[in-house]
Amino acid sequence: MTSTLKGITLKGSAELVAEFFSFGINSILYQRGIYPPETFTRVTHYDMTLQLTTDPKLKNYLTNVVSQLKEWLFECTVQKLVLVITCLETNEVLERWQFDIECDKSSKESSAPREKSIKIIQDEIRSVIRQITATVTFLPLLETPCAFDLLVYTDKDLVVPDKWEESGPQIINQSEEVRLRSFTTSIHKVNSMVAYKRTDSV
Amino acid sequence: MDLEDDTTILTTLKSFNTFISRHEHPQRPSEQSGSGNLQPHYKRSMEFLEAAERVHSQHRYLQLDQEKKQMELSHKRARFELEKAASESARNLEQEVDRNQDLLGRIKVLEEREKEARKNLSEQVEANGSLRKNLDGLNKQLDERDAKLTTVDQTVTSLRDEIRDLRQKIQTQDATISSQTLENQELQEQLDLQRRKYLEASQLCQSLQAEQSSCSEHVIKIKELERRIALQEQDVAIVKSVKSEVARVPDLEKELKRLREDNAFLRDSRENCSLLKEEVEGLRKKLERMEKKKEELVNIELEKEVNCLALCVCRKPEDLSREVIQIQHREIALKEQNYTLSIRSLEHSQCEVGAKLTQQCGRTVEEQKKREAQDALIRRLQKRLLLLTKERDGMRAILESYDGELASNEYSPQLSKRVKEAEDVLQKTQNHNAEMEAQLSKAQEETGTLKLQLQKTLSSHTFSVMVPILVVIAIFRQKIEELEKDRQRLEEQNNILEMRLERHNLQGDYDPVKTRVIHLKLNPTAEAKQQRQQEAGAVQEELTRLRELVRSYQEGGVASQDDSSIHTPDLRKQMESSELRNQRLKEVFQKKIQEFRTVCYVLTGYQIDITTENQYRLTSVYAEHMQDSLLFKKGSNGSMHLMETEFSKTLGEMVTLHLHHQKSIPAFLSAVTLDLFSRQTTF
Repeated sequence: MTSTLKGITLKGSAELVAEFFSFGINSILYQRGIYPPETFTRVTHYDMTLQLTTDPKLKNYLTNVVSQLKEWLFECTVQKLVLVITCLETNEVLERWQFDIECDKSSKESSAPREKSIKIIQDEIRSVIRQITATVTFLPLLETPCAFDLLVYTDKDLVVPDKWEESGPQIINQSEEVRLRSFTTSIHKVNSMVAYKRTDSV
Repeated sequence: MDLEDDTTILTTLKSFNTFISRHEHPQRPSEQSGSGNLQPHYKRSMEFLEAAERVHSQHRYLQLDQEKKQMELSHKRARFELEKAASESARNLEQEVDRNQDLLGRIKVLEEREKEARKNLSEQVEANGSLRKNLDGLNKQLDERDAKLTTVDQTVTSLRDEIRDLRQKIQTQDATISSQTLENQELQEQLDLQRRKYLEASQLCQSLQAEQSSCSEHVIKIKELERRIALQEQDVAIVKSVKSEVARVPDLEKELKRLREDNAFLRDSRENCSLLKEEVEGLRKKLERMEKKKEELVNIELEKEVNCLALCVCRKPEDLSREVIQIQHREIALKEQNYTLSIRSLEHSQCEVGAKLTQQCGRTVEEQKKREAQDALIRRLQKRLLLLTKERDGMRAILESYDGELASNEYSPQLSKRVKEAEDVLQKTQNHNAEMEAQLSKAQEETGTLKLQLQKTLSSHTFSVMVPILVVIAIFRQKIEELEKDRQRLEEQNNILEMRLERHNLQGDYDPVKTRVIHLKLNPTAEAKQQRQQEAGAVQEELTRLRELVRSYQEGGVASQDDSSIHTPDLRKQMESSELRNQRLKEVFQKKIQEFRTVCYVLTGYQIDITTENQYRLTSVYAEHMQDSLLFKKGSNGSMHLMETEFSKTLGEMVTLHLHHQKSIPAFLSAVTLDLFSRQTTF
């Protein structure tokens, strides 16, 4: 994972993408106010300051999900990661942050590293996270107490682990969609987008 | 002085009595000097003292002289001592006088000082009051300032929050700016890419133009070929028809057979016609012969009749002439019959031939019409070919423009897929076009062959071959049109479906055959929901409990199981009892106070009222007017002071005596009582 390394392997790519998810989810939770801002601490990563949660429960949950996700990224069996924000009062889905993952399955056979420097990848990731931060300007305000959930779209033949269970896609009724930037490690390509419930006032 | 008094030797009862009577005077001032605030009083007492002292000493002197005289002999020594003591006392007296003077001076100074001090004190008090007011004001201001400070603090905190928010906003905006610059860069890259694409597209356009030119060349060639075909129609068409119409050879052979049969039939009919003509001629000849024979026969009969006439001259010539006429009539009828017969047969045959001729003429006319129709059809097909080529070019242009549109959008694999698909569609349409062209050329060939056939059929008066070909052409045309429509429809559907798929993908839809959606069982939403449910349950329970409580209260607070509901009646009872007690105590106190006051009134002769706090108004029983009253104020140290009233102004003497000198309020009050009483009783 050092920047002096020129190429990138499947393992390194999986780790990079999982790391991106960890930071991305943290910044969404901070930006959207799902958890109080005082439970976050500042961390410098990708040459930018990021908010990282200090809530032990949330930390534990995120590490669980991200480590599992890393495995699946390594196996190239994951298709999407979706962060769903649900209103607790009405159980209505208000926002969906969707990260489409395109895996280059040919990299599983050939272990040769790809020609893409980590610095460029991190630059791309940084611009994605910046855009996530910037989305606060147009997303509607979350006025009610909300909770979030992480859905993973995987291949059908995947064996579901013990602690996991099947879930619905949690689609928003009447949504507006906005595509965000994407980045690629040349093995995994992550397209991000956000869908939010259309409000009547607009 | 008191010391001296204390050591006085009591000689006789009289002296003792005098002492006793004298003793009261100096005692009181000494007692009252303790309060020590009334300077003139003190001074006067001092004067009193002095005078008394003098009198006393003189008195003693006399006594001593008397005693001396009486007990001079027995008490010489004592006398001497007494003398000594007298001298000492004189000396002391002098000393005392000096001291008195000193003290007087001091007292004056002190008095002055006291006045000043009082003034200062009053000033101080006033200053104190003002300062207190100031202090209160300041306190208020302080409170206000505190309040202001707290508000300011709050505003400061809020402002800090705002600052923080603004910083965050700035950060986010920085982030957006950077992201936008990044986007810009990307867009520029995309622009470059687009330019490249544009160049490629222009190249493609050029190539397309080249292709179009080649196409037009091809079209020209096709036209030339068509012309050649027209020129070399017969040879080439024969060859092609032989080659392409192998399958139709048997049909054609059948047709040929039929035509041959027809030909044979027509030949037969022609032969028949010639035969009939021959027959007609034969019949004419026969008729001529028959006429000749008839003439001969007439002649023979005439000869016969002549012979008969000649033979039977006996017969009348009239009869004979009648017979001749009859015979002539018969002959004429026969002739007529013969003629009519021959004419009928001739007419019949003539009619048949004429009908056949007209039939043939009609057929030829039909054939010609059909040929014209075929020609027109061929022309229309050529036009159609041109239109199709144009359409194909148009489709290509549309596809290219579609490509251009696609390229102008954001580059993504889906778009590339779509482009590929569109290209595939284009390829398909091109293939289809090619097929159509092939079919068209085939149709042209067929028309060529048909033309040939037509010519053939014209030459041989056959046209039935044309009908299936025409049908086939019509079917082909219909098929082409249908396929074209289908293609357009499918293209539109394909586009719509692609858009829908994209939208569904964006909304998070998935293919349940290929994908499954999973999440961690212990996710924050589930936890939050559970917690919420628990809270809701607890709240519900509490609500039901409280409702029950309220109900129980509404029912009158009768025996309920809850602890609090048990407590409340007790408390209420306690409260009621305490209130009752309070009430009773109040009543008792009131009664007692009233009793106490009346007792005080009766005993002391004063009614005491509390006007304001620390102020007491005393009204005497013997007061002349109702408003004659004395006001006393209680000081901070518990001492009482008389306040000035209208009534107290009239009691100046008593005030100076009892309050200033004696410093006794009870004495003052008793004096007032006595005064008033004496005034009332005198009247």
